Amino acid sequence: MKSVERRAFKRVTYAVRDEDAALDIVQDSMIRLADKYIDRPAAELPLLFQRILSNATMDWFRRQKVRKAIVRNFSEFESSHEDGDFDLLETLATQDETSARESAADSVSRAQILLLIDSEVSKLPTRQREAFLLRYWEELDVAETASVMGCSEGSVKTHCSRAVHSLAAILKIKGITL
Amino acid sequence: MNRTGLSSSPPVAEAEALQARFAYRVTSHLTHQAAALPQDITERLRIAREQALQKAHAARTVRAPARGAVGLGPVLAWLGSGRSEESSLWLKLASFLPLIVLVSGLIAIQDWHGNNEISAAAEVDASLLADDLPPSAYSDAGFVEFLKSPRE
Repeated sequence: MKSVERRAFKRVTYAVRDEDAALDIVQDSMIRLADKYIDRPAAELPLLFQRILSNATMDWFRRQKVRKAIVRNFSEFESSHEDGDFDLLETLATQDETSARESAADSVSRAQILLLIDSEVSKLPTRQREAFLLRYWEELDVAETASVMGCSEGSVKTHCSRAVHSLAAILKIKGITL
Repeated sequence: MNRTGLSSSPPVAEAEALQARFAYRVTSHLTHQAAALPQDITERLRIAREQALQKAHAARTVRAPARGAVGLGPVLAWLGSGRSEESSLWLKLASFLPLIVLVSGLIAIQDWHGNNEISAAAEVDASLLADDLPPSAYSDAGFVEFLKSPRE
């Protein structure tokens, strides 16, 4: 649960951009899970937790009366980097190459890269970020991600694709290979 | 004549695999970032988890007191409490053990006492039946009445 709660905290922090609020939301989600889903089989709990977390985040937005922000974040923005002229393969160097290149001096820049990636993920449109994180960080399949997000599987694939292309493009511009 | 563009783009499955590969690289970096959360954040998360567990215990007590530990088991296990609900069930069962012993003892004593009374009465009856009846007994009205009365 430790890794789950940390990822949950990060995911909510990306959305609400407030660590205290994110902590409250994660705690509230844990309580809701324990309180309302006592009888559910253990296998269903991770997915339920993600769903509760998403709902709790939405509740937080509602309580904060930032409806304009919700409308803005949840509308389908076309990324400015989308369909750019780049090759995903260029951004993807092999792991061996990466580790071979890494030296002590690179460790410092590696920390900066982590921060940069964190920042770029947080800048993704909300739906794209949610789909990307649920699909590839929480490792839910497309159907489960769609279930948590309350959208179709096709939308999930589109959001994920757009998120990946946006990130690849911006990382390429910044000269970062993974 | 767009065939050049189409042929240069990878097949869908390959593109998805490439996309997934890139995505997992990014999320592995995010995992590193999440692992390095500040101590105060991780502590607050831990406290939040423990508070959730306490509320879960309270909710279980209120909602299903007779159901015992079975219902909350999966949630507690997933939340990582590490507490054994099974042991509390055994404790509850063990608390009934003295009562069971007491009741069994009382039943045994009553049974033993009853057997004693029966054997004592049987001895008296046997000695009476085995003894000679004095002739004067036939002149006793009470004895005559006893002989006339139906046997149980």
